[in-house]
Amino acid sequence: MEEKDRKKHHKKHSGPKADKKRKRHLNDLGLGDDEDARKRNPKAFAVQSAVRMARTFHRTQDLKTKKHHIPVVDRTPLEPPPVVVVVVGPPKVGKSTLIKCLIRNFTRQKLIEIRGPVTIVSGKRRRLTIIECGCDINTMIDLAKVADLVLMLIDASFGFEMETFEFLNICQVHGFPKIMGVLTHLDTFKNNKQLKKTKKRLKHRFWTEVYPGAKLFYLSGMVHGEYQKQEIHNLGRFISVMKFRPLTWQTSHPYVLADRMEDLTNPEDVRVNPKCDRKVSLYGYLRGAYLKNKSQIHMPGVGDFTVSDVSFLPDPCALPEQQKKRSLNEKDKLIYAPLSGVGGVVYDKDAVYIDLGGSHAHQDEEEEVRPNHELVQSLISTHSTIDVKMASSKVSLFMDSKPLGSEDVENQEFVMPKEEKQIDLKTGRVRRKAVFEEENDDGASDEEEGQNEEMSEDEMDGSEDGDGDDDVEGESDKEVPGQELGLRSAKRLKREETTEETAVELPAFADSDDDLEMSSGEEGETDLDESKEEAEDHGDEEESDEKESSDNKERRENHNLDHRLGKKVVPTTDSGNCTAEEASESEAEGSSLEEEEEEGLNDDSEAEESDRKGIQNAPEKNVDGVEWAESKAVEDEDGGGDVENLLKEEEEYGEENDFSADTAGALKWKEDLTQKAAEAFLRQQQSAPNLRKLVYGTVAEDADEEDDADEELGGLFHVSRPDKESKQKANALDCSKFPVETPQDWDLDEVMNSIRDCFVTGKWEADKDASKLLEEDEELYGDFEDLETGIVHKGKPAGSEGEEEDKEGKEPKAGEEEEKKKRMDKKRKLKEIFDAEYDEGDATYFDDLKGEMQKQAQLNRAEFEDQDDESRVQYEGFRPGMYVRIEIENIPCEFVLNFDPHYPIILGGLGNSEGNVGYVQLRLKKHRWYKKILKTRDPIIFSLGWRRFQTIPMYYIEDHNGRHRLLKYSPQHMHCGATFWGPITPQGTGFLAIQSVSGTTPDFRIAATGVVLDLDKSITVVKKLKLTGFPFKIYKNTSFIKGMFNSPLEVAKFEGAAIRTVSGIRGQIKKALRKPEGAFRATFEDKLLMSDIVFMRTWYPVSIPAFYNPVTSLLKPAGEKDTWTGMKTTGQLRHERGIRLKQNKDSLYKPIVREKKHFNKLHIPKALQKALPFKNKPKNHEKKAKPTKDQWRPAVIREPHEKKISALLTALGTVHSYKIKKAKLNHRQHLKDYLKRKDKEEEEKFKRQKEAKKKLFRIMGQKEKKRQKSSLKGSGEREK
Amino acid sequence: MASQPHSLSYVGCNFLRQRLVLSTLSGRPVKIRKIRAKEENPGLRDFEASFIRLIDKVTNGSRIEINQTGTTLYYQPGLLYGGVLEHDCSPHRSIGYYLESLLCLAPFMKHPLRIVLRGVTNDQVDPSVDVLKATALPLLKKFGIDGEGFELKITRRGMPPKGGGEVIFACPVRKVLRPIQSTDPGKIKRIRGTAYSVRVSPQIANRIVDSARSILNKFIPDIYIYTDHMKGTSSGKSPGFGLSLVAETTNGTFLGAELASNPQGQGTAVLPEELGLNCAKLLLEEIYRGGCVDSTNQSLVLLLMTLGQQDVSKVLLGPLSPYTIEFLRHLRSFFQIMFKIETKPSHEELQGGEKVLMTCVGIGFSNLSKTIK
Repeated sequence: MEEKDRKKHHKKHSGPKADKKRKRHLNDLGLGDDEDARKRNPKAFAVQSAVRMARTFHRTQDLKTKKHHIPVVDRTPLEPPPVVVVVVGPPKVGKSTLIKCLIRNFTRQKLIEIRGPVTIVSGKRRRLTIIECGCDINTMIDLAKVADLVLMLIDASFGFEMETFEFLNICQVHGFPKIMGVLTHLDTFKNNKQLKKTKKRLKHRFWTEVYPGAKLFYLSGMVHGEYQKQEIHNLGRFISVMKFRPLTWQTSHPYVLADRMEDLTNPEDVRVNPKCDRKVSLYGYLRGAYLKNKSQIHMPGVGDFTVSDVSFLPDPCALPEQQKKRSLNEKDKLIYAPLSGVGGVVYDKDAVYIDLGGSHAHQDEEEEVRPNHELVQSLISTHSTIDVKMASSKVSLFMDSKPLGSEDVENQEFVMPKEEKQIDLKTGRVRRKAVFEEENDDGASDEEEGQNEEMSEDEMDGSEDGDGDDDVEGESDKEVPGQELGLRSAKRLKREETTEETAVELPAFADSDDDLEMSSGEEGETDLDESKEEAEDHGDEEESDEKESSDNKERRENHNLDHRLGKKVVPTTDSGNCTAEEASESEAEGSSLEEEEEEGLNDDSEAEESDRKGIQNAPEKNVDGVEWAESKAVEDEDGGGDVENLLKEEEEYGEENDFSADTAGALKWKEDLTQKAAEAFLRQQQSAPNLRKLVYGTVAEDADEEDDADEELGGLFHVSRPDKESKQKANALDCSKFPVETPQDWDLDEVMNSIRDCFVTGKWEADKDASKLLEEDEELYGDFEDLETGIVHKGKPAGSEGEEEDKEGKEPKAGEEEEKKKRMDKKRKLKEIFDAEYDEGDATYFDDLKGEMQKQAQLNRAEFEDQDDESRVQYEGFRPGMYVRIEIENIPCEFVLNFDPHYPIILGGLGNSEGNVGYVQLRLKKHRWYKKILKTRDPIIFSLGWRRFQTIPMYYIEDHNGRHRLLKYSPQHMHCGATFWGPITPQGTGFLAIQSVSGTTPDFRIAATGVVLDLDKSITVVKKLKLTGFPFKIYKNTSFIKGMFNSPLEVAKFEGAAIRTVSGIRGQIKKALRKPEGAFRATFEDKLLMSDIVFMRTWYPVSIPAFYNPVTSLLKPAGEKDTWTGMKTTGQLRHERGIRLKQNKDSLYKPIVREKKHFNKLHIPKALQKALPFKNKPKNHEKKAKPTKDQWRPAVIREPHEKKISALLTALGTVHSYKIKKAKLNHRQHLKDYLKRKDKEEEEKFKRQKEAKKKLFRIMGQKEKKRQKSSLKGSGEREK
Repeated sequence: MASQPHSLSYVGCNFLRQRLVLSTLSGRPVKIRKIRAKEENPGLRDFEASFIRLIDKVTNGSRIEINQTGTTLYYQPGLLYGGVLEHDCSPHRSIGYYLESLLCLAPFMKHPLRIVLRGVTNDQVDPSVDVLKATALPLLKKFGIDGEGFELKITRRGMPPKGGGEVIFACPVRKVLRPIQSTDPGKIKRIRGTAYSVRVSPQIANRIVDSARSILNKFIPDIYIYTDHMKGTSSGKSPGFGLSLVAETTNGTFLGAELASNPQGQGTAVLPEELGLNCAKLLLEEIYRGGCVDSTNQSLVLLLMTLGQQDVSKVLLGPLSPYTIEFLRHLRSFFQIMFKIETKPSHEELQGGEKVLMTCVGIGFSNLSKTIK
């Protein structure tokens, strides 16, 4: 207690008091704040130089605008897909351990083996898909394209490895995702100082590669083979709060990182031909952009495909429902990794599997049971997948269950599934299959499917296209393509039975109870069917419209069934849609389905022909929409169908009702059809027809082309009935005008009034009417004082508010809430005002743009918000964030056979014409770390867009005149152009090139990077071609050249072209000569020599080999997936086969031997010599003759005595000369002195003289003055 | 090999333009069979052949295969090239027939398109160049296609049957289009028009104007109808006259209507007064139909909405024309795009007929031909 008392007073560090204190302190020091300084010393802050001020302002503005990014519309979905976290690093760096630790951190589950992506819920608003990336460059490239966040593991004990840099470069090219470095193996450092140093070094290197300040995480050491819990926890926190920037490629393309694959191929087909193309369904979260059904996709490592079907499934790893708690519930911490065999609930299209091993409920047992990937093991190892098994097991295994519609699956969150235990055949493990209430009769469903099977493909297509939410039958319909064949084998027996009874009527069909019930259901279906026929066969429809009643229809229905049975005999023509009627009505050439497509429109113009108003022809059209039964709008459809008839005849209506009443027992939705029909009729009458059905309903898109139109009746007769009208429609006049068929009489007043308000002169809406607005304004702004006049205008008292208050008083219960609302309103208003003011301050173009984008984003979100997913998907496509199942056909069997979950499967959506090939022009630069330069025409592997492919690029450089000149090699440190033949990819897409994807090399593998500039269908690259020729006859400036061309025709093509000699004389081609062939006359600026070589520079377009070879690495057998080799370069081939390059002898280097140059004498013509001045004339001295004897003098040889004399004389001479020299020097010195003296004297003399002169002049001046004075005086005196 | 996108197949020559245009834009080949196969004179007509030639001119690398009889056409699109071009349109159809498709394609060329089209400028079948100039061009402007080089100039008028008109169409290129939200057509504030006459008495145009005004004046006073009498070389080869009217609203919506005289030697002579009256009534019909885009340009606006960014575009239209309905179907098969179609009964009595609100999310189309530097 004592101690506590003695505790020191705690000093305040914040708050007003502390501030005041600090300020006082600063003032004491003489450091006031800025404002004070300004006040104290205004001169220092005055504008010194306007120019400098302008410059600084300019600069700040520049910096400000530089920070701006072009605003883009925020297209992130409300419920985003899981964030893709790619864990990358060289081998043995701890990737898997990190993933395991992270998963354990988030979900409290321990995964033993990780294969493929693992999706976990990491927070209330975030999910993660974690995937490991090996060192295979294919994997690295693929994952870099889909990654949102990269965890880059670096072995600190080793330092950076090539893979790390390669991956970073790949990321840079394909859009830079968030990158977080993680240093592992830090426990290997014993020395703390060294550790610190290493950390710092690595950090700075990492920063230069990513960006300064990039996050680098340290995992200090392992505890029991795992990273430290706290560190992992921190890392997890970082990941789950991280923000991501949108990447252009990712946001503009839909893509799926598949986390589950199933083979749907018919096992029979596989049995017959094990190498047959497969049908596969892939599952995963859709990311990026909207995915449309039937769109094109690319699977990196496999190839291009068209999506044959897409459907969305309930989210297997859903975000928790909104909850107020801060942390997640334990049961919300889901994990989903089907490839690793984890994920509790496995949703299929028609069943839900609950895996006993993975649920949180049995967490204790979990540890023992754990490696529950047997399930997946079985999925992967078997060649027949769940779907197929399900299909085939309909007969063998689950006799008492019925497949679910996907709608049911969807709603399954609300419907409690019953539990049904099943023993997995393979593993013997108990699995609980969730079965729903509605499943009642398997036999029936079987039968039903059998029926559906008979229906043609295009109907199914139609039903899928037309409207997503079909009724149950429609749903099972969808299932058929996958299961059809499997069922067929199972049903073969039954079919054979029925074939015998081809001609038999309806009762024969029902050979069991199930069948009976079914047949009644079938009736409903045929009902739909027949209305479809109506739509399709227009002629028929017309007829029936005119007179025929439902009797006819019933007859036809029977006929239908007949026909169907008949069809069973010939299963090859399995377009069940092509019913008897159609067959009979179609022509010999057949009104194929394309024609049917037109008929929606045919109806229209038909309607126009028959005098009806353009607007009112719609209700009739609705018939077309009828057959596409929507479970939701059942009344609508059926009603619609009836209504059509109703419009014609009342009685028919009744009969139709009867008909429906007959079948009412079979299907619930057919109950009280009468009422519904009546309702629908009324609705039709009063409101507009359902245009959507009119437009999209009847169209059978992508119809089977080989739909044999000429049906044979009974195998004998060939019925061809021309239906002229449809023909005519197909070939009708192509005109966009919408003529008014029945013009209204615009002279009538009421007609005229109908558009009165379309004009500004008409009445305006309340919110736009000027006068009304004015009134409101007055109310709004209340009282104000006119300052000029001093009149105070009183607005209407704030009555409304007062009233409200009164009301509050009356209703105290609602008061509180209302008050709250009011407060919120007020707050919002204030905020708006503030925002407006704040923005207005510097509302720039940028701000406006941003606002616009924001508005658009809001609209995008709001537009389809209120619609259910089924219909929404049709308008928007499948939106990112959905868990989708994508069916793809014609996948090479190797994909399934060699499936390895460790390699990511990516489905990248392609935009329009991105599936086409053409010539692509790039700007390319050899990577500065790549050791070689790249050679033109060497095959190289590009990673561009989603794809990896090998192609043959040509490098070129752009000359100043825009010509693309071919280069033999890529420049060392410069950008150059490249053209190749390959997939068309939008301009601005980055790419990288690698020489080979197989194996690993110690060197850096990325050979070049760049960007797509242009797409074209023709090539513009040219190479230089020099044509040489030789003169064979030379006149003055004209020469005849041969050897350049082969024929006069060739010459004619080049007439007027510029030519040149090697020595630089320029000339022009004039005209071809008759002989020799290809010779021509040319003129030059000077006379040529016979030794001159004449050449012409031409440009020859290069052809680019159309070689495009996708890297199909995923098709390689497991374990060899990184050994893909495509076309080899000539260099490689030569090396392999030991073929030496044959060198041109002329190209070899030889020692240079320089010959002595001999110059001829200069010869000057005589005439010129004569003209030259004498100085320049060559002096032609005649050669001197040899000196004669008398001229020749002999040498003198002295005697020794003479020698002495001469030596003495020389010595004396030397002494003498020295004396003279000395004397001379002396004399010169004297002279100098004398001159100096003389000068001085002279000067003095001059000075003296000057003095004297001065004196003299002064005296003379005085005298003069005196004389003048005296003369003046003298005159005066004289006067005196 | 990249698997070629499976081609689409159609029957009959109807909607040939739509199919070729959409094929070019989407890059999907198209096959059209049985073109007038059952008629006495089977195969493609002159004007269709001319259209195909025009498509060939503006693209680079397209493959067009036509069988011997001309009843089957296979078209594998190339890239849109553009540039300065000339085209002699067939006199069987007016220039509008060709121009409508060019309007769809022109913004997505490699080089800005500048094309001289020669042929019939105004006839009774197709939308004339006057109406297109007055309605389609402002529409394109809404999508961000405007600027210096965006014009449609009528240098010569040519009437059927011989033609002889000349039109210069220039359009800049864009990489992406802007989404539009035009759900409020606004109120009509003025009506403009052109009464033209070639190789007939210049008085006729005035007579047309007077009669047209007599009706329109009951609604709005701000009417001005230009009389355009072409003479000499710019008057084409055949006589004729006609009127095109355009109503402009406060929100920049243009609704057009037009009527032309019968071609020389076909049908009975039309009185100019009658023509003026009828044309004015047609305009009133068009106003009655209403919407933010007139009936001829419905397909154009829907196409441009489709080709927008992945944003929601909305437009209010009058009743859909059969051509538009087919166009919507084609849009779905080529681009997998479906429009949300909501009928909006006119909430107020005096505002014409029912409207249709079309909503779609653009496919995120970007001009693949345009070069970046």
